[in-house]
Amino acid sequence: MNDFAVQFQGVSKRYKYFTLDNIDLQLPVGQVMGLIGQNGAGKSTTIRILMGLVHQDEGQVQVLGRHMPEEQIAAKWDIGFTSEDLRLYDAMTLEWHMGFIRSIYSTWDAEYAKLLLKRFGLVAEQKMKGLSHGQRVKAALLLVLARRPRLLVLDEPTTGLDPVARHEILRELTGAMADEECSILFSSHNTQDVEQISDQIAFLDRGRLIDSSDKETYLDRWRRLRLEVPAGIGLPALRGVIAVKQEGRIAIATANAFEADLPNAYERTGARVQRVENMTLEEIFVANVEHSREDVNV
Amino acid sequence: MNAQTSVVRQMVWKDIQMHRKLMASLMIFGAAGLGLFLVKREPYTVLGGIALFTALILTSAFVPGSNILNERKRQTLPFLMSLPISAIQYTTAKLLSTVGMFLIPWTTLVIAAIWMIAVEGVLPHGAIPMALMLLTLPFVNVCGITAMNLVGETEGWNGAAQVIFNSVPGVIWYLITLSPALTRDLGSSQAVWNPTVLTFLGSEFAVIVLILALTYYLQSRKRDFV
Repeated sequence: MNDFAVQFQGVSKRYKYFTLDNIDLQLPVGQVMGLIGQNGAGKSTTIRILMGLVHQDEGQVQVLGRHMPEEQIAAKWDIGFTSEDLRLYDAMTLEWHMGFIRSIYSTWDAEYAKLLLKRFGLVAEQKMKGLSHGQRVKAALLLVLARRPRLLVLDEPTTGLDPVARHEILRELTGAMADEECSILFSSHNTQDVEQISDQIAFLDRGRLIDSSDKETYLDRWRRLRLEVPAGIGLPALRGVIAVKQEGRIAIATANAFEADLPNAYERTGARVQRVENMTLEEIFVANVEHSREDVNV
Repeated sequence: MNAQTSVVRQMVWKDIQMHRKLMASLMIFGAAGLGLFLVKREPYTVLGGIALFTALILTSAFVPGSNILNERKRQTLPFLMSLPISAIQYTTAKLLSTVGMFLIPWTTLVIAAIWMIAVEGVLPHGAIPMALMLLTLPFVNVCGITAMNLVGETEGWNGAAQVIFNSVPGVIWYLITLSPALTRDLGSSQAVWNPTVLTFLGSEFAVIVLILALTYYLQSRKRDFV
């Protein structure tokens, strides 16, 4: 059995004004991967390639052990997909949609669907056109979750939602992970959501995968050091430090491969380490993007 | 029945459910046209014929846009494509549902029209081949407009398809009037199936087959679907 729910190897896709460039990505079975990137970073293209809806120009994609796009039909039986721009049929009720999905998937769990209706505060008899954005997102998620897929692929599922609705959705996703065989890949530009439920995190920027690792490693690896630098002392380039911003005697060093000895290394240069701070995922993302763009621009 | 056939069948059934009201309205319009035939006076027969033909042309024009283009415009296509189907199966489902939704009123109205001529005698029997030739034109239309909506995917292509396929019948009507082989037996008491009539009817169905084959070919070459 394949240990990875999703595997991208050297995947590229070229459009006239955008290129998804050489993406390598691996999502182990039973884990949650958050795909973080700005609008236009390539998240949706990556997800569409994963779903077999867009064919990659180069590289291999395997989803649940199936080659995409060739085996997309077999793979999609086990994939639950929803995206921010996915709409249900306005003129039809949620009950009709549930019946439609139930007629296709034998795995439909009617009891769970009923439970989700209650938890999400949805009325099955209501037509889609009468639902708010948040309710539509929940309805789409209900249709996906109640058929118990092995892989959930969610493109910006929390975008535009109020905090309560976001919380409800993230709680259900966490609940879905109680099934150890279920994996989730979801994209977002909201780093808080990703930080809350992800095991793995991948950063995309301008069509490139700039970093990918498990969440704990990220949070351990990245630190910000506040330094006091006496006049006449120049800060050397130290291993693991990707950026140093200095204003007067105060400098801030950002490390992406922090080691316990790094503060000592600065002390040895004559600088005084005022504080070593943990970074939030958002700060890590921004620092990562800035660093990768510097690399590209050099 | 395997699972894949079942998905396509469910998609076709979904489309039919969603267009029931539109289809019923157009059927009523067409049936009203046929009702005028029963008055058995020439102005009513002409009016009834126009209403019948208009109902079929409207069906061929509305259904593809509503059934195919709206999936993209209203962003329901990602929902459908998340189901376990390929682009080719999607094409099959949409062709079956769109053409099928046209064929239900078309078959009913064509049979009724032929019955009106053959049994009720609202027109001489010689008009039967002409009625069939003319009433098959909207069938060609619906296939053409469906194909261009599936392959072109945009409002522009739909507009172009509407212009092309809705203006062609007028030209063909005119060309028919120029052909004595097609018009000379109109008043005959018997339906005359001469070689020109058969060639005309055969050509219409050949065009339909060609359009459907070309649609599959072009859809199979697409690399990006949503």
